Amino acid sequence: MDQLLQHFLNAMILGGTYALLGIGLTLIFGIMRVVNFTHGELYTFGAYMMFMFVMPLQTNFFLALLLAVMLGVALGALIEIMLLKPLRGADIDTTMLIMIGAWIAMQNMEQFVWSGIAKSINNPFPADPLVIGAVSVSWSRVFVFVVACALIAGTYALIQWTKLGKAMRATFQDTETAALMGVRINTVYIATFAIGSGLAAAAGALLGPIFVVYPTMGDMAALKSFAIVILGGLGSVGGATIGGFILAMMEELGAGYISSGYRDAMGFLLIIIILLFRPTGLFAQKERIG
Amino acid sequence: MLKVDGVTCAYGKVMAVRDLTMEVRQGELVTLIGANGAGKTTTLKAISGVLAPVEGRIEFEGEDITGASARTVLEKGIAHCPEGRRIFPYMTVRENLEMGCFLRNDAQAIAKDMEKIFERFPILHERRAQAAGTLSGGEQQMLAISRALMSRPRLILFDEPSLGLAPNLVEQTFDIVEQIRSDGVTVVMVEQNALAALELCDRSYVLESGEVTLSGTGNQLLKNKKVQQAYLGG
Ligand SMILES: Nc1ncnc2c1ncn2[C@@H]1O[C@H](COP(=O)(O)OP(=O)(O)OP(=O)(O)O)[C@@H](O)[C@H]1O
Ligand SMILES: [Mg+2]
Repeated sequence: MDQLLQHFLNAMILGGTYALLGIGLTLIFGIMRVVNFTHGELYTFGAYMMFMFVMPLQTNFFLALLLAVMLGVALGALIEIMLLKPLRGADIDTTMLIMIGAWIAMQNMEQFVWSGIAKSINNPFPADPLVIGAVSVSWSRVFVFVVACALIAGTYALIQWTKLGKAMRATFQDTETAALMGVRINTVYIATFAIGSGLAAAAGALLGPIFVVYPTMGDMAALKSFAIVILGGLGSVGGATIGGFILAMMEELGAGYISSGYRDAMGFLLIIIILLFRPTGLFAQKERIG
Repeated sequence: MLKVDGVTCAYGKVMAVRDLTMEVRQGELVTLIGANGAGKTTTLKAISGVLAPVEGRIEFEGEDITGASARTVLEKGIAHCPEGRRIFPYMTVRENLEMGCFLRNDAQAIAKDMEKIFERFPILHERRAQAAGTLSGGEQQMLAISRALMSRPRLILFDEPSLGLAPNLVEQTFDIVEQIRSDGVTVVMVEQNALAALELCDRSYVLESGEVTLSGTGNQLLKNKKVQQAYLGG
């Protein structure tokens, strides 16, 4: 029983960052119809930015986190303007190939700059874990969870209540009519890609100090993001949030009760099950984007 | 107020509107009639900036708006209530109205306009927090019209506002359009029902495979033999 509780706690904490990854990817797909293969690299980028600021540059940990996320947003905007904007109206195959190319290029760039050796990042949290009854969790993981939840809530608020959020939802539901209302569709696309990228970078920057940072770390993150998005239904922010927590729970249980080697297999298992029984995702009937 | 001069529009290689010339004066209610595929919707799209014409010139209040973006055209004072209503189905009724005044920043005046709309259409007030996709067809049409009004346009383009509505609602829709015009908004309306369109309008243009073949006042066209044969059932 205590063990199950511990798994549940671990899953909640990991699920927050998974949800960030899923929301970012599903926003971009839902609004722009772009399958974003650079998503995992934005995650890696966030982690390396965290490493760069905290380790060699000795920046304050929390400031470094803020900077890493902001740079992720900026890199996302840059990718959108440089790669996707010229491809507006191109067919999906072309866009996918370009994004796959960008993924490979970015990963090699990371390897070139930071080498293939895994890096670890110091964190300022007390070494003693937080103990609640029979379960315990490190303070650094509590921090990850709190920040992830705040970012999820912030993203919801943005989509639900801000003018940009309304423009994003309108664009998602009917692009031509949104343009008739005076929405600048290009701006919405840039903002969407930047926000989605920022969320991936945030996930990387949060998990970087917990695990280690290496150039191919984003591949698994990207695959898991895809699993979450398929689980939650393409374009569903609520679905991606719940999907993130479900995947984390499955990984925890798989690793805990089957074998720790099966942890990363759980995402694929989930994709297979969902595609067999409910190919539109668990939450496909619900409102999409917000 | 609006001058369309020799406008040609195409979708890829398919020519949809050819050398179309029309004029709308301040305060008029002008209708476009014609069979399916005649190019009525395309004409409205060219005016509102959804589609850039291949050739020709469009002028609004003396300013050239040819090929301008939909946003720019809206800023100049032209609202387009598109074919098939096109409300945002997952947004609430209120959010749809907010999208209608997306470019406005005068919060107090917006609140007043919203109130006026809710007074005019109490059902929209009742449903204000409901997803617009759950409204009935007639309610959705009221919402689409109201959304277009929220930008405070000086010219409003209606594309078949009566499409798919029950007869009594069709009547009601035409009443609303007339009311809008008597409130001082100039109206261009596309309408399949030629008889209603000609009775309602000041002037009308008849489109046939992308070209204007006839134009005149409603009464003139109602008496025209060709119009009677082609559009009024003999
Ligand atoms: N998006 C499009 N792509 C290609 N061709 C189009 C497109 N939209 C319209 N057309 C073609 O352009 C021509 C004019 O279409 P348009 O929609 O303007 O007609 P309409 O008069 O509004 O007809 P309806 O009464 O059916 O609404 C038609 O031949 C149509 O097939
Ligand atoms: Mg039409």
